[in-house]
Amino acid sequence: MVLINDLNKKSWTTRHDAKKKRIESVQNLVDGVIIPTTKIVEALEKLIQPGDRVVLEGNNQKQASFLSQSLVQVNPKKVHDLHMIISSISRPEHLDIFEEGIARKIDFSYAGPQSLRIAQMIEDGKIELGDLHTYIELYGRLFVDLIPSVALVAADKADRHGNLYSGPNTEETPTLVEATAFRDGIVIVQVNEIVDELPRVDIPSSWVDFIVVADQPYELEPLFTRDPRHITDIQILQAMMVIRGIYEKHGVKSLNHGIGFNTAAIELLLPTYAESLGLKGKICTNWVLNPHPTLIPAIESGWVESVHCFGGELGMEKYVEARRDVFFTGKDGSLRSNRTLAQLAGQYAVDLFIGSTLQMDALGNSSTVTKGRVAGYGGAPNMGHDPGGRRHSSNAWYDLMTSDEPLARGKKLVVQVAETFQEANKPVFVESLDAIKVKDQAKLAVAPVMIYGEDVTHVVTEEGIAYLYKSDSSAERREMIASIAGVTPIGMEHNPKTAERLRERGLIATPEDLKIRRADAKRSLLAAKNIDELVQLSGGLYTPPAKFRSW
Amino acid sequence: MKSAFLFPGQGSQYVGMLHDLPNNKEVKEIIEVATDLLKVKISDLDNETALRKTKAVQLSLLICGVASFEIFKQERAIPDYVAGHSVGAFSAAVASGVLSFEDALKIVSLRGELMETFYDSGFGMGVVLGLDESKLQQIVEQVHSDLQPVYVSNRNAPTQLTISGSINGIQKVIDFSQRAGAMSAKLLNVSTPSHCPLFDEVSYELLKALNEVEINRPKIPYSSNLRARLLRRGEDIKEDLAFSISRPVLWHDATNVLYENGVRLFIEIPPKEVLSKLAMNAFPESRCMAVSKSGFDDCIYILQN
Repeated sequence: MVLINDLNKKSWTTRHDAKKKRIESVQNLVDGVIIPTTKIVEALEKLIQPGDRVVLEGNNQKQASFLSQSLVQVNPKKVHDLHMIISSISRPEHLDIFEEGIARKIDFSYAGPQSLRIAQMIEDGKIELGDLHTYIELYGRLFVDLIPSVALVAADKADRHGNLYSGPNTEETPTLVEATAFRDGIVIVQVNEIVDELPRVDIPSSWVDFIVVADQPYELEPLFTRDPRHITDIQILQAMMVIRGIYEKHGVKSLNHGIGFNTAAIELLLPTYAESLGLKGKICTNWVLNPHPTLIPAIESGWVESVHCFGGELGMEKYVEARRDVFFTGKDGSLRSNRTLAQLAGQYAVDLFIGSTLQMDALGNSSTVTKGRVAGYGGAPNMGHDPGGRRHSSNAWYDLMTSDEPLARGKKLVVQVAETFQEANKPVFVESLDAIKVKDQAKLAVAPVMIYGEDVTHVVTEEGIAYLYKSDSSAERREMIASIAGVTPIGMEHNPKTAERLRERGLIATPEDLKIRRADAKRSLLAAKNIDELVQLSGGLYTPPAKFRSW
Repeated sequence: MKSAFLFPGQGSQYVGMLHDLPNNKEVKEIIEVATDLLKVKISDLDNETALRKTKAVQLSLLICGVASFEIFKQERAIPDYVAGHSVGAFSAAVASGVLSFEDALKIVSLRGELMETFYDSGFGMGVVLGLDESKLQQIVEQVHSDLQPVYVSNRNAPTQLTISGSINGIQKVIDFSQRAGAMSAKLLNVSTPSHCPLFDEVSYELLKALNEVEINRPKIPYSSNLRARLLRRGEDIKEDLAFSISRPVLWHDATNVLYENGVRLFIEIPPKEVLSKLAMNAFPESRCMAVSKSGFDDCIYILQN
């Protein structure tokens, strides 16, 4: 009986009670759910408490820039020792809050734009590193052991009740808000404006505690705009090889493309080169990718059935609205993106991931790190691996089955593209990855490898394609990579006889084996040669940001 | 948009550089302070014969940097950050208020004198373009010995690196670099092995001298040569000024830190435009200007608007 009495006394609503208290503490500052713009710093000082876990929306494209600039102004005597969760550390103040003594610990996915500063701050002991994640891992942990006490996020518009319209750049906002709102955390949203009626509701007001009108619209980066002018003949040759030797060979219908010029070249060859091979409808129909301007020619010529997006892309809004058969759009007509779901789709539901690498070792492990920089991962490792949990089959996946054992299964295609040398004579193929040095310098638990060799099924260089999935022997995979690694240290290992043997067995293929004439790889094959032509092909619907305009 | 001033170091000097400064009150005052304190005429510093000596070069750069900064200051055109390459760091320190101009003149005189006396004609510097740091480091390690010392010194850009030490050692590194595929590798017209441990003693002498002068808290954060950190304490800047001559200048990182802190306007203080060109290559999306090219008026206008 004593036991039951004690149990009865225990409160099961401590989190909820604490939240109520915090909300009451700002009642003299707020008007309903609205925090006046000029009161935001004061409100943050009351709503955030020392030691809180704060998820701040900063991702690849969209940044809650007004809230991050406000957070750096709070008094460190009142708010300190915060544990920040930021998927993409992009803005100076994301690290200034550590220099000011407001925050202490960080968990993140990507820090490319602040990669030198964060490396220095780790070295100087100014920042306590939780861990480096892929996007899906970080989002997952928001619901397990990194549950936020406060979320600081951005939306385009709100109504007076706090319903939100996040539009084309919905991105990761719903995930961050869900993890916070449903565990009695506090959700604060910066909006560009408050309106009477929203175009559509992306996040309902019952998930939101406060909104604040930002002094300036949130920052948005046109990260996925690639000007076709910068695509080289070698990239076009590689794109032709990928189309013939991988997409056509395995019948790749669903896929993700990243940010590189290599994949932009593939997108621009679909309506020309791939069309001439009669591949329309047979490859590249269902996509998980941002609204790349370089996909416009393929969409216009009827190649593309569907595109699901991680985020929006500046300037593509009207084009997307006008192509709602292809994109995911709301009742209002505008794009709905969702980074978490697109990452999941890219992980489990597509046939192929393809990306560029800056460095690869003899076994196909690849990395994009540079000495003295801590850049993290983003989403590439989520998509660039063979997910063991996959159970459904597709033609391309099934085609990679290499045994007839009763339990044999297919494989996700993970393709790495590289030119054998980068600028400054730096070989891409090396004995040992710089990632190993970075691990020691930044005291990381594991070396920051972007894509593990065991997951890579194909490597493409200007010399040829290595079909790594065809061999289980690490010695043989090494020979295959060496055979297409040119005159790099790894490439020098191979002897021509071995390469001949590998060619005969179909383990590697040269452009000639794929019936591609190197001389044909010319920029004239590109369906659009510059941004202006993309605009024209979009019927004027694509409006590129000023820095990409050349006219 | 945040801004930074970049103060050039040795290599940017030219004959008559001080005479090319605007003939106004601010410049005249600075030159008067310098000529009184140094007991020289200004034409004794920036003429062809004088500029063969590192001391005159360093003093001319300091005077030029500080006088130029005064012109901006007069218009209340103050940057968010400063950085200086090698001796340029002294101009940056004066601009941020860490060091008085007078004290800087004394310390830079000493710096020049010490550097001139330590090594004979068998020492100097070279520059290698088109190899990255790890590759050049490998080559340097093969060549370096006590009898033939040579070091990788300044990291001006990822593939623009200098080497310092004995001429024999430098020459060998140049040969190997060319064979390893460097775009260019050559000796520089510099007679001192700057920015390597051969100048350790110079650093200790400079530190002693700096300990005797007044060091203030910087009014403008200063990006450092040694560790490419933004420094906000006078003591840290003092150390950077003393040890820069015996350690590599991490220039690329020093400007990268400014960029990551939000700088999108880099203005190079006269003379010449070496540092703004490096910035232009490193940060193509930033605005990079050189006063020597655009003039004071344009730079002041851009900074204020």
